[in-house]
Amino acid sequence: MPEPWLYLKSIVASAIGSALFVLALGGLRWSSTETRLKIACVLGIGFGLVVGYYVLGLQFAWPPFNGLDRFLTIILPAVLMIELIAAFEPVPSWGAWLLRLSFAASIPRILLHGSVYLPSHGTELPVWQAGVTLLVCSGLLASLWWLLLCLSQRSPGVSICLSLCLAIQCTGLTVMLAGYIKGGAAALPVVATILSATIVVGLVSKRFGAVANFGIASIIGIGVVSLYGLLFIGYFFGRLSAGSTMAMLFSPLLCWVSEIAVMRNRAIWLVGSLQLTLVAIPLSVVLSLAKRDFDRDMAPLLYSDRRANGLDL
Amino acid sequence: MQRYYKLFVLTLAIGTFVWSVSKSASAADEYAYDLVHSSVSFKARHLDISWIHGRFNEVEGKFSLDRENPSKSTFQLTIKTESVDTANKARDEHLRQPDYFDTKQFPTIEFKSTKAKAIDGGYEVTGDFTMHGKTKQITLVLKGGKEHTFKDVKRVGFSTELSVKRSDYGFDPKAIGAIGDEALILIDCEGTRK
Repeated sequence: MPEPWLYLKSIVASAIGSALFVLALGGLRWSSTETRLKIACVLGIGFGLVVGYYVLGLQFAWPPFNGLDRFLTIILPAVLMIELIAAFEPVPSWGAWLLRLSFAASIPRILLHGSVYLPSHGTELPVWQAGVTLLVCSGLLASLWWLLLCLSQRSPGVSICLSLCLAIQCTGLTVMLAGYIKGGAAALPVVATILSATIVVGLVSKRFGAVANFGIASIIGIGVVSLYGLLFIGYFFGRLSAGSTMAMLFSPLLCWVSEIAVMRNRAIWLVGSLQLTLVAIPLSVVLSLAKRDFDRDMAPLLYSDRRANGLDL
Repeated sequence: MQRYYKLFVLTLAIGTFVWSVSKSASAADEYAYDLVHSSVSFKARHLDISWIHGRFNEVEGKFSLDRENPSKSTFQLTIKTESVDTANKARDEHLRQPDYFDTKQFPTIEFKSTKAKAIDGGYEVTGDFTMHGKTKQITLVLKGGKEHTFKDVKRVGFSTELSVKRSDYGFDPKAIGAIGDEALILIDCEGTRK
């Protein structure tokens, strides 16, 4: 059963934990502002996630037991590690991209390990079809990651990170409404940490007079992989439809609206607002469809439970 | 010509000997699970006031019965979790999700015997029971074992009940909620042999 009060505590704890960590590490002058903020972002998000999942009491097994376990114990730590390595100045841009692409190629295989989707575990797809599925899934992730990082270099700002937060939040709720409560709940600390790290890094960047918001690339990387991982689990192991999954995955790309001629040289707040509004439109549609399906299929089960408890008569 | 005739007779004699020896060595009768006349059902407490019933519609299995040496008998059963059926489509979909059976990750529930002995009115069978990716050794009391031949098909039937705690098999404790932790699995099966 969903536990809203627990979810709220987890969101608050992970947001505060992440913000304090970024502030503490980013505020100290122990390296150049750029490197320092990037590292502070990654470690702050990591710390926030640990706090958030601890408060949420989300149990996971080692060795990983299912898709969500693999997401929490392999995918999230790995993306944090990759973005941490990429944050250091001596690492060239192509080196960071090599790491990201290799990781993007391996994520679908890791998440589907031991499931019916892989031929070695005996069923649903023939070898060639499984291979094509893995290839397409990796390609989608790499494309999304690359397009959002390109956009962040062309028009720096926090709107991409905020749009990722919107998409991840929508994913969590949709997965929950589709009946996979634990999978949906796993999205909440991710949203809270990314949101608080984005806000804090924006403020600290301004405090040090930086032109760009340092650390945004790291946040985008973590956000994209989190969004992708949660959607992947929701689609392959839960009951997310292909249409909803694609809409939520690609909704942050609507931030590219800032690159059309009419929007250039407009006020940053105006462009940012438009970006977030556009991203929110498909997400709202997906969420209302999920709510409709929930009311039709799942709600009768819950309401009958409540009646039996004397809670809803 | 006579040489070839001797060779033919010798081959025939050896072949007959080997066939008769192998037949007498495997005294066990092999039976296939008869899906039409068998059922694997379960029930679990709901809010600790009543029982919810369900069944698995797709089951495979085989067993061999050695009447002379019962310890050589073997039993094997594979239940497809995707086929869960509680007479409510929405609930079945919910049960297939990762919070419960996680059917895409764990498509089967399996039992494979490792030890068997004859008891009064059936067999006591110990074996590995795998559910939700976790394997535990359990002992089943199979009642029955009577044979009946109908239209040239030899049949044998068994019944057993098994109580499992879902939390012992890695089910999320938070998902247990209104449905009790303990579930009773009821197996009534017929095996056929032509």
